[in-house]
Amino acid sequence: MPLENDAEAPLENQGAPDVLELDLSLLADVRTDGRFERPLEPNVRETRLLTDSPWVRSVGRLELSVATEGWTFPAPPVELPPPAPKPAAELAEGRHVANLPQLPDKDTVQKQRVRVKPTADMVMVKDRLLCLLQPPLDGLFDGRSLEVPFAPFPYQLEGIRFLMPRTAALLADEMGLGKTAQIILALRLLFHQGAIRRGLIVCPKPLVFNWARELKSWAPDLPFETIEGDPERRRTAWFTSNCPLKVVNYETLSRDADHSSDPRVKFDVVVLDEAQRIKNRDSKTAQVVRAIPRDRSWAISGTPIENHPDDLVNLFAYLDPGRIPPDTPPKRLQQLTSDCILRRTKDIVQSDMPPKVMRDLELELTPAQRAAYTLAEKEGVIHLNDLGDTLTVQHVFQLVMRLKQICNFDRLTGESAKLEQLVTDMEEVAESGQKAIVFSQWVEPLHTIAKALERYNPLEYHGKIPQPERTPILDKFKNDPKAHVLLMSYGTGSVGLNLQFTNYVFLFDRWWNPAIEDQAINRAHRVGQKSTVTVTRFIARETIEQRIASVLDAKRKVFNDLLANAEKPEALGLSEDEIFGLFDIRNRPKRAA
Amino acid sequence: MSVPSASSLLSLGFLTALQEPSGWVGGYLVTNSWGRPLEFRLTTAVQPNRVQAALYGPTLTEYILADLIGKALVEKTAAKPDLIVTDVPLALALRSRVEVPVVAVKTADAAAPADAVLLSHARSTLGLLLPGKFAGDQAGLLKLLERVDPAVDLAEPFSRIREAVAEARKMGVTNRAA
Repeated sequence: MPLENDAEAPLENQGAPDVLELDLSLLADVRTDGRFERPLEPNVRETRLLTDSPWVRSVGRLELSVATEGWTFPAPPVELPPPAPKPAAELAEGRHVANLPQLPDKDTVQKQRVRVKPTADMVMVKDRLLCLLQPPLDGLFDGRSLEVPFAPFPYQLEGIRFLMPRTAALLADEMGLGKTAQIILALRLLFHQGAIRRGLIVCPKPLVFNWARELKSWAPDLPFETIEGDPERRRTAWFTSNCPLKVVNYETLSRDADHSSDPRVKFDVVVLDEAQRIKNRDSKTAQVVRAIPRDRSWAISGTPIENHPDDLVNLFAYLDPGRIPPDTPPKRLQQLTSDCILRRTKDIVQSDMPPKVMRDLELELTPAQRAAYTLAEKEGVIHLNDLGDTLTVQHVFQLVMRLKQICNFDRLTGESAKLEQLVTDMEEVAESGQKAIVFSQWVEPLHTIAKALERYNPLEYHGKIPQPERTPILDKFKNDPKAHVLLMSYGTGSVGLNLQFTNYVFLFDRWWNPAIEDQAINRAHRVGQKSTVTVTRFIARETIEQRIASVLDAKRKVFNDLLANAEKPEALGLSEDEIFGLFDIRNRPKRAA
Repeated sequence: MSVPSASSLLSLGFLTALQEPSGWVGGYLVTNSWGRPLEFRLTTAVQPNRVQAALYGPTLTEYILADLIGKALVEKTAAKPDLIVTDVPLALALRSRVEVPVVAVKTADAAAPADAVLLSHARSTLGLLLPGKFAGDQAGLLKLLERVDPAVDLAEPFSRIREAVAEARKMGVTNRAA
């Protein structure tokens, strides 16, 4: 096949090319395909029609639900209308406290709230929740609903927190820390909660007025009545009156034992003040108190153990019968009772409280006193020895009393080293505008002292002063700037009185029991005291007073030890053996040896 | 004690919800105007599953707090409040379900609805949030707060409720209610 290419044309002139013949024929190879040799067959497959519901998978309930459970609490009986705003007092001349602006970071520090907590033995859910849902005690008294004379101290709030949830509680704070106020505020809050509706306060007779005054001060919205007067009037008070809070003294309570034990006279709470009054389990007072139908049993005592751990055991027979099994060893008492006892001392709770200065003044007897004393002791010991087997502790006791009286005054001459010192000291007290309390165990020396201190307008407060006259005497002592001295007997003036405006206490003679002396001292050294309290204890040197003082001092620590670890079951006052030991007696009775 | 006038009786409802591993638990305390407890109620735990969470979407929390927990607690509690206070601002939505003013105390860590109205008052140490749609409640709210005792801090009762819820759980109450 010739190639045709115009571009090559001019090459023809150069000579003819060789032509090669190529065989371009195609050869076909025919073969049969096996697939067409098989016959055709249709393939049939089943297909479901869309006649059924589609498949559904459940994801569970889409709606959310909730169940609830609730508790309704006793409704507070009333809500008081807010008191009228107090008129602004006119500014007096002189210095005033300025209202300084608060620092910006004052509120950034979160203070610990004081909240009531359920006790371990509180088993009902509702009771536990009611405790937890109470508003904090701190700040509670800032509102208009709870008027108080002054904000309770933090330790007092702790005391209220301790009392409120407890059915058995012993408030055993040291004297002067405001136990009465704590009890009243705890009662007041429980009344407001609706948790209690009927309460009874039992106290010594001389303290009824004091309770009335404190109730008016700390719970002005809480009505109370004193159970007193003729039998019909008392019966009405027990059974008919619907006054929520009643106050009765121990003597009247014993007289009305039939009424107070009647099941119809049931109290939600019974408070025993100076509860050491029932330390003798078998006394009528103790039995009458234990028979009062009640839900809560509270007690107040700065000296729950005056003489023996059994005092505490007997107190618990009222507070929580069964808590202390019979024959419990003293060392287990603390373990069994600690949850029900709250005791604080001034040292612990109020480090900023003014100090109490103890001044033991050992005085030389005047010559006349010394002569009388020496003679009396010599004759007295001879007499005791002469008694032989008929000697009793009462004989010794009589001699002790006689000698102590001589230490106060010589009967013949009227001389008294103590009185001379007291007159000197009172000059200083009066000159500085201060007030003093003088304690003696006898009333007669108080009369003599009163005459000697006439220029200081002395006031007397003792068992021979009729009851209605006592409160006015205390009011006068407090308010009359010329009344510088109050003469008191231990028995009448040692408990329940608030005399914290007094800065001097004189113990003209010593009491047998240090706990009683402490109570006397703490009339002045208590909450509200703003200055140092000086306590002067007169002790005649080289006399029976000095011997007694040394024994009492050795025992003074026992009280705290008992409450702290209950390991020293010894008597706190002078035992019979110790009274015999005050003198050189040859033949002591065997029972006292 | 003197008998109070009817107008002096005031009840405050305090509503909280705790988010715990077991779910949301509601607690509700009704007090008088002094802050004293009158009635307490709590819920079982509400724990939405994943599908519920997906389907409720962003409305889930508000639904649980307001519709489920808040409404149930308020309706089942006998004591009717004059004011409901919550420490969970998202529960402010409860206001549209009940005929009682609802305010939230403004805590530092809680998210608040954008339209909430912030105000301050002496009865609360924390700011108060009013739901935006119900800003008209403010005048009535201020009158109510004047009747609340000055010792009451509206931000305080929530710690009580939390302790009570914990106590109830310890005593097995929340299981019993389920």
